[in-house]
Amino acid sequence: MNTQPHDHIVKSYDAEIARLTGEIARMGELSAAQLDAAMDALGKRDSRAAQRVIDNDEALDAQEHQISNDVLRLLALRQPIARDLREILAALRIASDIERIGDYAANVAKRSTVLNMSAPVPLAGSLGALAQLASGLVLEVLQAYRERDAELAHSVWERDAELDTLYTSLFRELLTYMVEDPHSITACTHLLFIAKNIERIGDHATNIAENIWFVERGEPLSDPRKKGVGVFDLD
Amino acid sequence: MSVASANAIADRLYRRRKIRNAFALGVSGLATLFGLFWLVWILWTTLANGISALTPMLFTQSTPAPVEPGGLANALFGSLLMSALAIAVGAPVGVLAGTWLAEYARRGRLGNTLRFLNDILLSAPSIVLGLFVYALLVKPSGHFSAYAGALALALIVLPIVVRTTDEMLQLVPGAMREAALSLGIPQWKVTVQVLWRSARPGIVTGILLALARISGETAPLLFTALNNQYWSINPNAPMASVPVAIFQFAMSPYDNWHALAWAGAFVITAFVLLLSLIARLILHRYKVNHE
Amino acid sequence: MNDISPMRRLAPAAGQTTLAVADPAQPGVAELAAVKIVVRELDFFYQDNQALKKISLDVPERHVTAIIGPSGCGKSTLLRVLNRIYAVYPKLIASGEVLLDGEDILDPHYPINRLRSKVGMVFQKPVPFPMSIRDNIAYGIRHHEELDRGEMDTRVEQALRDAALWDEVKDKLKNNALGLSGGQQQRLCIARAIALKPDVLLLDEPTSALDPIATGRIEQLIEELKRDYTIVIVTHNMQQAARVSDFTAFMYLGELIEFGDTEKIFTKPDKQQTEDYITGRFG
Repeated sequence: MNTQPHDHIVKSYDAEIARLTGEIARMGELSAAQLDAAMDALGKRDSRAAQRVIDNDEALDAQEHQISNDVLRLLALRQPIARDLREILAALRIASDIERIGDYAANVAKRSTVLNMSAPVPLAGSLGALAQLASGLVLEVLQAYRERDAELAHSVWERDAELDTLYTSLFRELLTYMVEDPHSITACTHLLFIAKNIERIGDHATNIAENIWFVERGEPLSDPRKKGVGVFDLD
Repeated sequence: MSVASANAIADRLYRRRKIRNAFALGVSGLATLFGLFWLVWILWTTLANGISALTPMLFTQSTPAPVEPGGLANALFGSLLMSALAIAVGAPVGVLAGTWLAEYARRGRLGNTLRFLNDILLSAPSIVLGLFVYALLVKPSGHFSAYAGALALALIVLPIVVRTTDEMLQLVPGAMREAALSLGIPQWKVTVQVLWRSARPGIVTGILLALARISGETAPLLFTALNNQYWSINPNAPMASVPVAIFQFAMSPYDNWHALAWAGAFVITAFVLLLSLIARLILHRYKVNHE
Repeated sequence: MNDISPMRRLAPAAGQTTLAVADPAQPGVAELAAVKIVVRELDFFYQDNQALKKISLDVPERHVTAIIGPSGCGKSTLLRVLNRIYAVYPKLIASGEVLLDGEDILDPHYPINRLRSKVGMVFQKPVPFPMSIRDNIAYGIRHHEELDRGEMDTRVEQALRDAALWDEVKDKLKNNALGLSGGQQQRLCIARAIALKPDVLLLDEPTSALDPIATGRIEQLIEELKRDYTIVIVTHNMQQAARVSDFTAFMYLGELIEFGDTEKIFTKPDKQQTEDYITGRFG
């Protein structure tokens, strides 16, 4: 089912679904902005900015709550089937993924405030690249969602492997730091967790991509996953 | 347009509508009163004028000579016999014909043509039917008879029963027919055992109304059964009937005949009223609700 | 998922009709279930008006097959061909093949009496006959079998029990059936149809005149009846088709657009037209 669906005979049904997808898109943008702001705060060692990111997470939680209410109402009142059902079910799942992305962004901000309490460590340059890649994936998958573009979603889904690879190399880089300078172990561990959080954001972006694929194609996105080199493939 | 002025217009329209409604209701009520007024007057007049003849003798004695006591026994018997014969002939033929129209010729040119002809027969002046039977039966046989009278009345019964049967069967939902047929029951059995049963109250009502109609008919009897001043149960001979007796007595100059005519008129009116009430009752109580 | 549905485990019954696939373009449907009714290249005309266009469909035995589609799509017509009830009306012509247990019921030599005893039908409006509850059931049986009073009582009770109506009417079998509620009347009509022990039960929008509770009872009944009967149901209520049927056929303008597992039709139909219809969109 590649073609765009026709309008519903009952116009308010279309309006309610449009409202739902609009909420998802806004929520997605907010989560991407949260990630960017957290990385910015991390780079600038700005604890106040980091605190704003942490506080903003509540707004995301409230939006997710709103979306699950809307989904519940649509399910109860419209009894959707086929594409409509997939659309509404996917909205629920995607909202939860976005909410997790927001949580990870807030986590990054929290760890940055902790890092600010100790001497600055030379930030591994690849952490910024990692964050940029993750943020790019999130923005792209949101674009795929807005445009109902299964192919774009599929490309995001495939490119998560790049993120995994980058994360693995960053992991090694940080290990090297810690071996060279045992004083940096605490800070590097925090950076390691931040990297892990960013890597998880990529996983949620792929979840969203899978849901977009499911909405559009009516089947799970499931060719054998091309994984990047994993952390646990190290030895 | 402001809300206030929109409301004002709506209020004005509503008032106008209420006035019209009150007017129409008043006129309808007056029209009803007008109709009832005549009906009550007729009943009252017949009763008041015929009361002196409303004695047991009315039902036991035959029509008398002028200025002698008597009743309408022969006329009542004649009316009953001829009406019964007419129903006995007209009702079964009418039910069968109506069934054929509804079940086998519902649509199509033949059915609609017959329906049209039946409607003409339904509205044919009854004196024409009397003349027809006169030419058909009385003239060739050389004498008037109750048979001829009954036939003329049957010709009035027939189109009424055809029409009601046809309409009542058409009211039976198609699903009832299909449900019975889907059980493998042949169509004639479905018609007789299911559809007639379902339409029965309506058909019976139609027959009762036909009976009410013929019990007051005079014109078709004038040329067929004629009249008979004496008690006679021979259906092959002229026979008295209430309407004809009324006609004859009312035209006469004698007071006791006048009283008998009024009494006869009252009996017929009461009989017709009773039949109508029974018909309504049947329809009301046994009507199969198809909704 | 499909691999574990009871359907797949059914072996084709011996001596059954060829287990052909309804449409070569849609293989998989009813391939492995015994096929009760095979419709092939069925055309149907109301005078010059073609109501069915080259319908081919396999109705699987002891399953519920729902036919859905907008008004005038030919779904009721198709149902009416399956027991040739259309033959009551003049100028209706069906051509093609409708095989019931391998025999063509459109063949004029196929005895209508046998067809009607093998294929029962229940209509949109409950239409009990104007007679007692007991006679409503006994009436059809009497036409096909000679039973004494005791045997007839047993059969009437069995039919009423099977239609889940016995407990409600057992004390008033002699009462007029028109005194029952709408839902009870419809179950009486189902009892009347299954009293003849048919193989196939055709239901033409059987709950469209009933309230949700009565509708629920009928749906539960359909669930129970499909153990013994092959059921074909026409319904305007998509949710009902989804709830009660194993297979769904979608018809539009006299054509069979899509036929398949109900689960598939209602989650991911192959045809855009089907999707638009079931989700309430402009097609």
